[in-house]
Order: sequence, then structure tokens, then C-alpha cells
Amino acid sequence: MGISRRDFVRNTAAGALIASTGLPSRVFAAGQKTVKIGMNIPMTGDYAPWGLPGLYGCQVVVDDINAAGGVNIGDQNYAIEIVSYDHGYDIEKAVQGYKQMVSESDVKMVMMLGGSTVGAVMPWADRKKILTTTLLASDITPDTEYLIATSESHPLYNVTGVEWLAQHHPEVKTAAIVTNNDAEYGLQSAATYQAAFEVAGIEVVDINLHGFDVTDFAPIVSSVLAKNPDVFCMATSFYCTPLMEQLYHQGYKGKIISCTLDYYDEIIAKTSKEFVNGTIFQFPDFDDPKLNEKGINFPNPGDFDAKFRKDHPNDWSAVAWEYPANLLNWIEGAKAAGSVEPTEVLKALRSNKNPEFVFGEGRWWGKEFWGRDSVVVGRWPVVVVQDGKARIQEYRSVSGWLDKHAAVLAKYMKSHGLRITG
Amino acid sequence: MELFLLSIVNGLIQGGFFALFAVGLVLIFGVMGVVNFAHGELVMVGAFTIWLLHAQYGLGYIPAIMVAIILVTIIGLLMERFLFRPTRSDPLAGLICSIGVLFILQVAATLVGGDGPSKQVPPPFEGTLVLFEFLRIPYQRVFSLLISVTALGTLWFFLTRSKFGWALRAVAQDREAASLQGINSNRISIIAIGVGAALAGLAGGLVAPLTNINPHMGHNVIITAFIVTIVGGVGSLLGAVLAAVLYAMLHTFMTVYFGGTIATICGLILMVVVLIVKPSGIMGVRVSE
Repeated sequence: MGISRRDFVRNTAAGALIASTGLPSRVFAAGQKTVKIGMNIPMTGDYAPWGLPGLYGCQVVVDDINAAGGVNIGDQNYAIEIVSYDHGYDIEKAVQGYKQMVSESDVKMVMMLGGSTVGAVMPWADRKKILTTTLLASDITPDTEYLIATSESHPLYNVTGVEWLAQHHPEVKTAAIVTNNDAEYGLQSAATYQAAFEVAGIEVVDINLHGFDVTDFAPIVSSVLAKNPDVFCMATSFYCTPLMEQLYHQGYKGKIISCTLDYYDEIIAKTSKEFVNGTIFQFPDFDDPKLNEKGINFPNPGDFDAKFRKDHPNDWSAVAWEYPANLLNWIEGAKAAGSVEPTEVLKALRSNKNPEFVFGEGRWWGKEFWGRDSVVVGRWPVVVVQDGKARIQEYRSVSGWLDKHAAVLAKYMKSHGLRITG
Repeated sequence: MELFLLSIVNGLIQGGFFALFAVGLVLIFGVMGVVNFAHGELVMVGAFTIWLLHAQYGLGYIPAIMVAIILVTIIGLLMERFLFRPTRSDPLAGLICSIGVLFILQVAATLVGGDGPSKQVPPPFEGTLVLFEFLRIPYQRVFSLLISVTALGTLWFFLTRSKFGWALRAVAQDREAASLQGINSNRISIIAIGVGAALAGLAGGLVAPLTNINPHMGHNVIITAFIVTIVGGVGSLLGAVLAAVLYAMLHTFMTVYFGGTIATICGLILMVVVLIVKPSGIMGVRVSE
């Protein structure tokens, strides 16, 4: 050969370095300009399913609000404009996007997915006193004064699904947990499931952690099924579809529980409706009749669901309603404050000891785990696939579970080396 | 025992897939001296084509694979003609060009398929082959294994029994000497990248119903391909096939018995060990500097 192994390795390393600089980002902008709200989220790459549907959801909500004449805050009527930035789950881009939104667009709040991208922006955000939201409760630290989690409290709500499972399927005695091995999503969720299973009296017989480089899930599923678990638990949802497909082909007959089950219609297409039926998870479709019950703080969820799916028929995911829920919480805070300024809005939000979040009344929580009461916890729906459609079975209390069993959760968080401040 | 046998089958299926794209990478590198960083994206384009034509527009799976192979082959030929041939004297320039193609293909896939969730292709071959009452292998995976073995066997026959194959190996060994023997090295380069790209397109077509399809899926593919190439011996086609099966078996068994995280680490350790013990790779030949 004309080129030596050394040249090959050297060129490969050089290429890897250049390739790691990433893709150019895309910027979306829409709507009128009055008060600007930022969305610094992943819209491309592996994390895009947890960013882009949220932007679509916010556009639906903002269009409705603006079409109805905007929102009155203090003595002023405001139209809302969403300013978005695709950071592709890249830390440098997240910081760049955040600063750009604040400095050039004068956004009054920035909504983010969570994880390392939030950790990277918060020191600057706190100095500039910019209100920021995350979907990961574990992003909260004693120093993050301006960071709140008002819609999703990942992964605390997972305890409700296990509680429901244990009550309705008392024959279940063992469980196996499969998840990606990252500290932001996978391990947090695995620890929560471990705690929930222990409290429910279900023995965890296997925890299978894997990286993001898996291209074939057959060995993972074979390995887990060799332990004969009564419950197969997917602690995060990056790979629900290939995992479910393998479960189906390898003849699994037990119960399945998952944090999310995004795009479950595609899973049905790859397996069967009968197989997916009975799968328990935590994120409802918004055409669910139980979302029309009293206590739900989301305007016309059925209309929202219909409008979203009309414009984006294949893009609904767990975050489709979560970023809009954060936006609605901000509007309530701004109304209460009579101001759009971040410090005033945050003060108004925190002054409400029992804030109303999407599934009902909640309370601020988090100090004993992460050093600040910046997470809103309350009740959360348990969702089960029935006849090929996700349906809420009932709401269960996350805050009630935490009151009784927070120490168990802390034990498992620590066992995975996860940060517990309290 | 059941798990052991199932792991062997899974390892072979995985190994066949790895070999398809690793052999293509080796072929292009061997003949043209270019580390084609966009090779993973050629696999991605193959998979995206299946999603678009088969899952979205209802074209049959086999015809969609044929289109994927043709499309990816054309992309490969264009790369050869307009990027690699003009930069032949500078391997680093070729490499940087391939990285440019990598980004272009990722953006093109995003434009075609949209942002957001990974794409899914319903399995064209439904059902599961059950052997000995315990060995359950989806027909889709059986199909993937059979086609991989057939393609690699055909390539082997082509390289060892045809005039073009001999010429290709001659150019890979020494381009100048081959030219002195009257071999048209430009034509051989075209054949090499054509075959390599076609194999990548086929690999994408086979893996499409088995995995999440997204514009960035080539990243994992190229890392695996580099590990396999280095372990097998840079430039050795047989080495690439052996290393692909070895790596897949190691990864599968470590995943089954020790978990996915350990499996990933072991794959990299395998590469490091080979670099230390036999730097030229399992089947590689030492080249003096």
C-alpha cells in the first residue's frame, strides 16, 4: 500500500478533530415582536426529539395567544415572540446561542432541555439575572438562582408508573432496567426506577447500562431476558423502538414500563398493537379525555393536540407540551408580577407556595436533593397503551412519594455517583 | 447454552454488517490512499434512501435497496472525480474534502428527512425464524446476514478471479508499478470507490429496518469502521472481514455477559492491544517508512 498505518492513524485523528467541530446551526424565528422568549434547544442531532417538538408546541400556543390579542401584563398588552436557537446539544453552541438571545434579542426567559448545556450557561445566566427553565430537575444546584423546572421534573415522576404497576399487577416480582449510561438522563432515571421498585417490593435483577454507540440491541435484550424479569424497564427513551422490536422478536411476554414512549405508533408498526398494548409510561397524548378534567392547567389540550398534529403529524414527543407549559407558567408569573422583567417574574413565581402546573397544584421542591427549591412537583399521570393508543389511567402524587421515600431515592442516586447536595 | 448460541448468531449478523462498510473503506484507502471520512455518511444515505422510498413512498424493499446502491455509488464516483482525483498528491487534502462531504451529506439528509425524530423503517420481512425451539432470529436479520455474506463472497470472487480484481490489487500494492504495467489507475480508482460506495449503500439498506435512522448515524459507523480497519490491518480486505467478525463477536459477548459499557471499552482495548502487539494489524503488512 502507498500509505503506512502511521499515516492512516494520523490522518484519521486529524479528521476526527476537524469533524468534531460540528454542523452549522439553524435559527427559527416567528411571530410579532413584543416580549421575546428564548428557546435554546437541540433541533438537530440525537437530542432533537426533545427540542424541536417543543418549539412546534410553543408556536401553536403563541399563535393562539397572539391571535386572541396578546397577553396583558401590568398596564401593557404584549404579543409574544419565540426566538429559537439550535445548539444541537453542543455546549459551546448552547453558550453562544444563549448569549446571542440575551444580548441581541433581549429575551426575558430562556427555555432549555437540560443537562450539560444548561450547566454551561447558568453561571452567565445567573450573573445577568436571566430566568431559565430546564426539564431536568437534577440541573438545579445551590448556585442556580435563576433556574427553575416548572413543567417536567425528570426523572422524579417515574415513581408513579412503578407504584401503579405494583398495585395493578401484584404478580410482578422482578424487574430489569436498561438505559444509556449518561449521568444526565440515563443514570438519574435508573436510580429513580431502582428506588421506586424497592419501595414497591419489586426486586431489580439486572441493570444493563449501555453507551450511545450501540447499533444492535439484540445482545442487550438477550442478556436481560436471560434473567427472566417480570418487568422490562426502559429508563430513558433514546432507543425504545429498537429495544421494543427486539423484545417482540425474542418473544418477551412480561410487562414493559418506560419513562417515555415517543413515537409509539412507529413501535406498533415495527411490532404489533397487541405487543405494545399494556406498556406503561409517563407522557400522555393531549387528546386524552382525562386532560379535560378539573385541575388541569393547560388551555384546551385537545385543540392543542389537534393543531400540533395537523401541522406536524409525525413530530409529537414528550416535550411537545412541556416547553409550552413552561411558557404558560411564565405568563402567569409575569401577570402576577405585573412585569416581564426576569427578576420580578421569578419573585412572583416563587412567592406562590402552591403553583399550578400543568397537571394540577404543585409545590416547590428540591432543596434537600439539589440545594434549592426550584422544582415544581405535584401529581403526574400514569399512561398505558390501550388498543394502540396512549391513555391516562390515573394521576399519582410525586410529592407524596418523595415525602415518604426521598431517602431511598437519595441512596440510589449516590450509588450511581450522582450529585446530591442536601 | 441458549444465550451462548444466540450470541454467536448475533455476532455473525453484526460482523457481516461491519464487514460490508469496513471493506469498502479499506478498498478506497488501499487504492486511492484516501481516508474517506464520509464513508459512514454513505451508509447513512443508503439507510435514508430506504426510509424515503420504501417507508414513505411504498417502493418495494429490494428495489429500494437497488436504488440506494446506485445512488450511493454515484455519490462515490462524484467524490472520486471531483475531490479525490484532483487532490491525489495530498492525502490530507483528500481527507479534508471527505469531511466536507460528510457535512454536506448530513445537511442534505436533514433537508430531505426533516429535523426531529429518528426515522423508522417497518421490517419488510416480518416474523421470526425459530430454531431448536429457543433460537429466535427475526427474518430481517437472517436476510441481512445472507446478503452480507453473498456480497462479500462476490467481492472476493471479483478480486481474486477477475482481471479488474487483479488490476485493483496491483494498484493497491504499488500504483506506479501498476501504471508501468499498463494498468489505468484512474479507471481502477473509479472501480474501487464505486465498489466501496456500493457496499456502503448496501450496508445502509440492510441496517435501515433494524436501527434508528438519522443524519448523524454515520458517526458510529465510521468509528467502528476505523477500529475494524486498524485491527484487521490497514489495506487488508481479508483482515477487515476477520476483524469485523472478531470485533462483532467480542462486542456481542461482552454486551451479553458484562454489559454494553464494558463492551465498548473492550472494543477499544482490542484496537490498542493490536496496535501494541502487531502494529500492522492482524493481516496487515509492515511498510517501511
